[in-house]
Amino acid sequence: MKIPNAMRGGEPPPILGRWRNLNIVVLIWLAFLIVLFYAFTRYFS
Amino acid sequence: MRPLDWIVMVATIIAIPSFGLWRARGSKTVNQYLLAGRSMPWYAMGLSIMATQASAITFIATTGQAYVDGMRFVQFYFGLPIAMVILSATAVPIFHKSGVFTAYEYLERRFDAKTRALAALVFLIQRGMAVGLALYAPAIVMSVIFAWPDRITTLVIGIICVLYTTMGGIKAVTWTDVLQMSIIFSGLILGLITVISLMPRGVSFADAVYLAGAVGKLNAVDLHFDADNRYNLWSGLIGGSFLALGYFGCDQSQVQRYLTGKSVAQSRLSLLFNAMAKVPMQFFILFVGAMVFVSYLFIQPPMLFEKTAMRAIAKQPQYTAVEQRFETAWQRRKSAAESLNEARKDDDSAKLNASIAEYRSAQKEIESARESGVRLYEKATGEKKFNDTNNIFLTFVTTYFPVGVVGLVIAVILMAAMSSSSGELNSLAAVSVMDIYRRHFRRDASDKHYLAISRLFTALWGAWAVVFAQFAKNLGSLVEAVNLVGSYFYPVLLGVFVLAFFFPRVKGSAAFWAILTGEAGIVACAVLTKIAFLWYNVVGSLIVVVFGLLYSTINRSSGISLTVVSRCDAGGSDTDSVDR
Repeated sequence: MKIPNAMRGGEPPPILGRWRNLNIVVLIWLAFLIVLFYAFTRYFS
Repeated sequence: MRPLDWIVMVATIIAIPSFGLWRARGSKTVNQYLLAGRSMPWYAMGLSIMATQASAITFIATTGQAYVDGMRFVQFYFGLPIAMVILSATAVPIFHKSGVFTAYEYLERRFDAKTRALAALVFLIQRGMAVGLALYAPAIVMSVIFAWPDRITTLVIGIICVLYTTMGGIKAVTWTDVLQMSIIFSGLILGLITVISLMPRGVSFADAVYLAGAVGKLNAVDLHFDADNRYNLWSGLIGGSFLALGYFGCDQSQVQRYLTGKSVAQSRLSLLFNAMAKVPMQFFILFVGAMVFVSYLFIQPPMLFEKTAMRAIAKQPQYTAVEQRFETAWQRRKSAAESLNEARKDDDSAKLNASIAEYRSAQKEIESARESGVRLYEKATGEKKFNDTNNIFLTFVTTYFPVGVVGLVIAVILMAAMSSSSGELNSLAAVSVMDIYRRHFRRDASDKHYLAISRLFTALWGAWAVVFAQFAKNLGSLVEAVNLVGSYFYPVLLGVFVLAFFFPRVKGSAAFWAILTGEAGIVACAVLTKIAFLWYNVVGSLIVVVFGLLYSTINRSSGISLTVVSRCDAGGSDTDSVDR
């Protein structure tokens, strides 16, 4: 398995400095939503 | 529909594509027509991606599904943000930097012409059928609710859609989508506010949420793993990720959206925007459906939400008894809901538990009474799988929503049909021209020629969609089959793109045979197992990747052996070619 060159470098995102940081924010957002929906399910059932 | 509803609906439907066309003025080259001259900002692409994915049936069926089955369908979208993160880091920069018009064009650069042709063909077959159904889906519901002739509905939506897509290309499609999504969001918020405002006196928003939750309508997350269960956290996260990877990474109707970005960063942002917004949006739509359920606790719902079905069973001798049972069950559930609402405000836990038990029992009784109605209909007509889920939300809207709001909601649904169809038409034209016509029939024509051919193909695919939609009524179970086709083909496309991106030693023949083997594996899964269809995406992709690597390794070994033999024969000639 090899990482293609096209994926390296490139313009940084307008916020948070690095794409990795932005990706982490998205995944934390997903985790937050799942926890929130789970709490919502438990609380109202 | 009252005159004001008609005015709101027609004005919305005409004004928004006109805006899109105005923004698209000046598309004079193929690059501008198919890729908007790679000039689009992230928010326009992000909203267009969401609009293309959200069809009319998303709004009609999702709300109805929450009414019947609760909110667990939201788990289907949990994999989407994961897929968006992966694609924004992989597919977006790779496609962008390779300067391709279509995703399948990249496959020829990486593998060979036959792999490109096979992938393009798979896309054309699948999307070609889906685009007709996207037009037809809202027409079925409109015909049931308003008695509008479905042929006229599909014709009108189809003509508007084809006109602005053919004239303005992807720029018109994208800017129309932007405005359409804005109206769709506004319509949804207005819809929820209206549903809540229709609750009877004494039932607050918190009460409504409590009543929905008490009978499992707010069951958004199920942690229990079951491969046969279509919607749980694990199928959503794993199967949903693979499905979204296939759809957003390999389907030209989506790839084309982010190829229009003015930079790689803008395209990546558009996908991450979608990752953040999609799950809450689906949750919101489902929540509207759950609130419709609560409204029907206090106002009597029809036993079946399809008027023609009600007329059919009304002629049956058992009808009076079944209808009476349903009405009694509704009265009991209404009383139980009111008692529960009062009990939860007291501090008496014994009374509360008794009220909850009675409310749940009453809910089971009304579901059973409704089921009797369904069975009566099936017995009367011989129809096997009666399903009126799609009619629930529109029945509620048209019966109880205020004048003007009804027109807006109907416009939202029709626009959703247009936004998904227009994106599909544009991508079908792109693949037809770039992967088939230019590649196999006329390679050296002028840009002007390809622009004219692109418009022609858009119009032809539009005509096909309208004609297909006219006959969709007679296709019956094919509608289901077409939905399944997506789950059959995305996994193999995903697998072949994984091979293309990350395994440079895998060559054309390995990729080509891996697609066919993966397809056979998915068919075997569907025929021989009972696993839910979301898992086909995992199985199919893995088969393609594993087969592609194995084929490549075996070929490589035999290639090395052959090379060694030929070196011995030739006295050790210098060759590096080991991968056939």
